[in-house]
Amino acid sequence: MDSIAYAFMAYGLTALISLAVVGLIVIINRLMGNSDNEQETD
Amino acid sequence: MDQLIHLFPGIGSFFVDDPIVAVTRVVLIVFGMVLAYYGFKRTLEPLIMVPMGLGMIAVNCGVLFLDSGATGNIILNPLVSDPAGLINLLQINFLQPVYNFTFSNGLVACLVFMGIGAMSDISFLLMRPWACIIVAIFAEMGTFVTLIIGLKFGLPPGEAAAVATIGGADGPMVLFTSLMLAKDLFVPISIIAYLYLSLTYVGYPYLVKLLIPAKYRGIETDFDMGNVSKRKKFISILVITTVLCLLLPVAAPLIMSFFIGMAIKEAEIEPLHALLETTILYGGTFFLGLLLGVLCDASTILNPKVGILVVLGIVALTISALGAILGGWIMYLVTKRNFNPVIGIAGVSCMPTTAKIAQKIAMEENPYCMIMPLAMGASLSGLIVSAIAAGVFISTIGMLAP
Repeated sequence: MDSIAYAFMAYGLTALISLAVVGLIVIINRLMGNSDNEQETD
Repeated sequence: MDQLIHLFPGIGSFFVDDPIVAVTRVVLIVFGMVLAYYGFKRTLEPLIMVPMGLGMIAVNCGVLFLDSGATGNIILNPLVSDPAGLINLLQINFLQPVYNFTFSNGLVACLVFMGIGAMSDISFLLMRPWACIIVAIFAEMGTFVTLIIGLKFGLPPGEAAAVATIGGADGPMVLFTSLMLAKDLFVPISIIAYLYLSLTYVGYPYLVKLLIPAKYRGIETDFDMGNVSKRKKFISILVITTVLCLLLPVAAPLIMSFFIGMAIKEAEIEPLHALLETTILYGGTFFLGLLLGVLCDASTILNPKVGILVVLGIVALTISALGAILGGWIMYLVTKRNFNPVIGIAGVSCMPTTAKIAQKIAMEENPYCMIMPLAMGASLSGLIVSAIAAGVFISTIGMLAP
């Protein structure tokens, strides 16, 4: 693979995985936020 | 004269060594003194620079004549490769066991990461997660640009990728990646990385002030300091560790080390938290600094590739800083001015140095401007992105033809 194409591919993959990880954190945070609130109400 | 040379081998060896080696030794002794002094003055990071400077002085002064007639030291030999020779050195050289059992296998990087993890708090990242991660992705730009430049310089793919990771500004990560991808060059790459990382504290503020006009530096930024429950943080840590280890098994030791520190903090296991945050972190950092110093002997520094590494290291960190500031500006525009662009520099992880730089610069313009929590979030994101980039390199570098 050409070096520039590889660098773009690796950067893109890094960005994609990073965004996915943060997306997951946000989703967990939302879900847990709801259940934490419910527990507090109980 | 010969007797005099053998009576004081540390001095005598200067006259027996190749003149280039002798001059390099003198330069490194002076350089060691400069590093230790500026560490003492707090201009450079004292935790690394004081032991590193003293180690550098000792290894370049403490040269003696060995049985074979060649010159050497009884501190450390990083280049020994045959097992019988190594066993002998383990019984003689002062730091050889520490080097072989903690440094050359990446253990010290993992120990330092456990300590950093124990000091970190994921709630900083949860305040404005998208802004933090986007800034951190931009701040990783230096890594990938330097990879291309390194390849153009003629470095093999593994070595180009290893030196490029300096752009992630994460010492343990550079050490770990260069061990995986460029075993023969991991000593000079690690030394250069740590030297430059110390210099970020001096150089980055100038770059930030050059690219962000004063009226933008003190902008106040909204963020939610609301309490994130321990349970939420702990489960987030478990999920991130699982996902990252599944996606990047080659970086699993570092990922596990970092998040285990965080998990112990959130689980409030006080004896382990105190152990990681103090003894393990400071013990690891001390031996890391000392070993980096004693690895700076003339033979290592005179490797012809060191010149290229020195250039690529500074290029990587500069481009990462430029990318980080660009990320800060983009977030400033996207969020309709509700983001201080100075926070961008914290995306170049170097935790917590760059976050401190961001807060200091913001406070110089506006004493009431508090961006430290967000800057720590960006720094933490930078660390996660650096770990992902290292994992991507180690997993996919084979796609590049040597």
